[in-house]
Amino acid sequence: MANCLERKKVLLVPLDPVHDIGLKMIRRGLDEAGHQTMLLPPDLPPEEIVSIISRESPDQVLVSRTLGYGVAELLARFVDLTDAAGLRDRTTLVVGGMAIRPELAAELGFDAGFGPGTSVDEVVAYIEGRPYKPDAAGIRKEKADLTARYGYEYRHPAIAKLLEGIVDGILAWAEGKTSPGIKRARLRDEAWDVETWRQGKLDGNFNDAYAALCDPVAEAFYRKGEVHPKTRRQSKEEIARLEDYLTSVEKGMTVRRLQHREGQPKVFIQYGTGCPFMDIAHIKVCEAWGADGVVHFDPSWGARTEGFIGDFLTHQEDGSVITPENLSWIKAALEASTLWQVRAHRGLNTPETVVLAGKLGADLTKINIAYGALAAGTDPARLTVDGVEAIRMAVKYNLPFDVVTNEELAGVPAHKAFAGMLIVAALARRLGGRPMLQPLFAFSPEVMVSGQMRDNYIDFNAAKIEALRAIIDAPIWPGAPIGFLTQTEDRVQSSMTTSLHAALAASLNVDAVSIASSDEAYSGGPIVAASRVDTLRAVAEGFRFFGEGRVEPTKKANQWATEIVEKIETVLKAVAAAPSFPEAMYTGLLGSKEEGAYPGRGGRGTVTEE
Amino acid sequence: MAQGVLSQVLDALDLETFLICSSEDEGKEMAIRLMKTLGFQDVDLVFIQFAGPGARVRARAYIYRPGQDYAWVRNADREGKG
Repeated sequence: MANCLERKKVLLVPLDPVHDIGLKMIRRGLDEAGHQTMLLPPDLPPEEIVSIISRESPDQVLVSRTLGYGVAELLARFVDLTDAAGLRDRTTLVVGGMAIRPELAAELGFDAGFGPGTSVDEVVAYIEGRPYKPDAAGIRKEKADLTARYGYEYRHPAIAKLLEGIVDGILAWAEGKTSPGIKRARLRDEAWDVETWRQGKLDGNFNDAYAALCDPVAEAFYRKGEVHPKTRRQSKEEIARLEDYLTSVEKGMTVRRLQHREGQPKVFIQYGTGCPFMDIAHIKVCEAWGADGVVHFDPSWGARTEGFIGDFLTHQEDGSVITPENLSWIKAALEASTLWQVRAHRGLNTPETVVLAGKLGADLTKINIAYGALAAGTDPARLTVDGVEAIRMAVKYNLPFDVVTNEELAGVPAHKAFAGMLIVAALARRLGGRPMLQPLFAFSPEVMVSGQMRDNYIDFNAAKIEALRAIIDAPIWPGAPIGFLTQTEDRVQSSMTTSLHAALAASLNVDAVSIASSDEAYSGGPIVAASRVDTLRAVAEGFRFFGEGRVEPTKKANQWATEIVEKIETVLKAVAAAPSFPEAMYTGLLGSKEEGAYPGRGGRGTVTEE
Repeated sequence: MAQGVLSQVLDALDLETFLICSSEDEGKEMAIRLMKTLGFQDVDLVFIQFAGPGARVRARAYIYRPGQDYAWVRNADREGKG
């Protein structure tokens, strides 16, 4: 059925010894649109083609030719012949093929030229004389709910029983305990109204009460207006410029889809250049190249500071400072479909980070007591009480969160990291939360030593997913980033290994992945935007390559999955038998010093009775 | 002109090539010297691999590091950038 007012007669000419696939695809599109088409055989002499044009009188002639040595002259001669035959005024000549550019087509005397990447729809639109609008449905993205299809039922009764007992113990232990972090979170929750703050009308009493709960560095901001010594305030002029920049970018902003089929995982990138300006610039690049979500990466010193400061702050270190101003600015820059995660998985501001993230419109957060206490420097007792509060706040603000297991990178075996993750996930479920399991897809110290990845990077990663699914029906979001320690400073290798891990993740039907940039292994300077594009493009190709196909793990994956589940159960039995959950962490049950896990010292001695 | 275009680089400019040299150290030195000869100051070598006749290199010049004054922000609405 025709979808245009006027049917066109189109002659399709493969002026090429062999290649006519593109023209055949275009003919199908034109036929479906109701036009009359005639496809000539390949490689007819130009004179014969001109004779056919004269006889058939088509409205349009589409010539296809791969540009090579001497081809420009051939095409120009073809145009001259049509001109000499008096046909040029009554038919439109169009050329398409590899290396064809509109400018070159015009130079050769054609009316239009289409190069690589041209869609059939684009050519049909040209034939019909209407502007080409890329398929809106193809690039429309909806914000995904990564937890929607999970019921969190346990599939391993013995582990379920152990987890429930451990959760009982954690809640009983934390009952009646508090910390400066909890007090700040509750103050932020109760007395910090985001709209009042946006209007600059925040009650001074909040600042006084808040400052009293901060350490000297943060307190100095509220008492004396001093910012952290590593940071710089951005000027009003800089902020105005950024607003103009964003307005300009939004005018031409489009988003792409990385996934080739429904059900392939959502793709997150981490930002945290140190500068919110640069972060926003990188985020817009990543959104345009297909990222579905972005993760706020804060500086390491932020986790060791009691309290948040404010203002538009930049600095020249990894991680962007969490302030209400910085976060709200980044939020304002995001596309409506972009998932925004603000991490609260460690540090002395864990529960308050959740409150801020919730109030400022984040979609997700990140919480893991075991990781934060064993590999990120916070005292286990402090992070246990703060973690319970953080989960409660995540429930209140309707924020699902991933439970990351990056302690594997320190050397903690996967089964111990998973035991810690499952405890936090079980705690979250008890409190009404929506946790997501975040196993690493990594060439971790454990596998380096034990050799599980000697033959391939597939089996052990697949075993992790299989093990978790044997225990609980929960969303899985490998990270962070996938392929950790498999990337090198070579951008091709780095992008490729990221792509292969993403393809493996897709094959395993996980819900999301966090990816690196191709600068992942480079430590000499900040990640650059071009390197982010590299991996996003590589992941899209990985998804395209495998489509509905599958990566096939060997039998080892199944065997290792069984072993992981058994070892998790053993660890959980030991944790359940410990005097308390913090004590289990102090004594190394979820990762010992020999395994690279050191109970953190940040905030030690700050847990008090309410 | 080139300076105007450089101001529109979002963060860094990478130069990738193959240098004929006799060792990785020589390749490193040549790559850094090349970048400085081109007028870049904030330069580093992101990747180098030496084999056979020379080295595959990826050299980087940071035009803007985070927190600096980015001209592309100022030029956002300007016609004909560069």
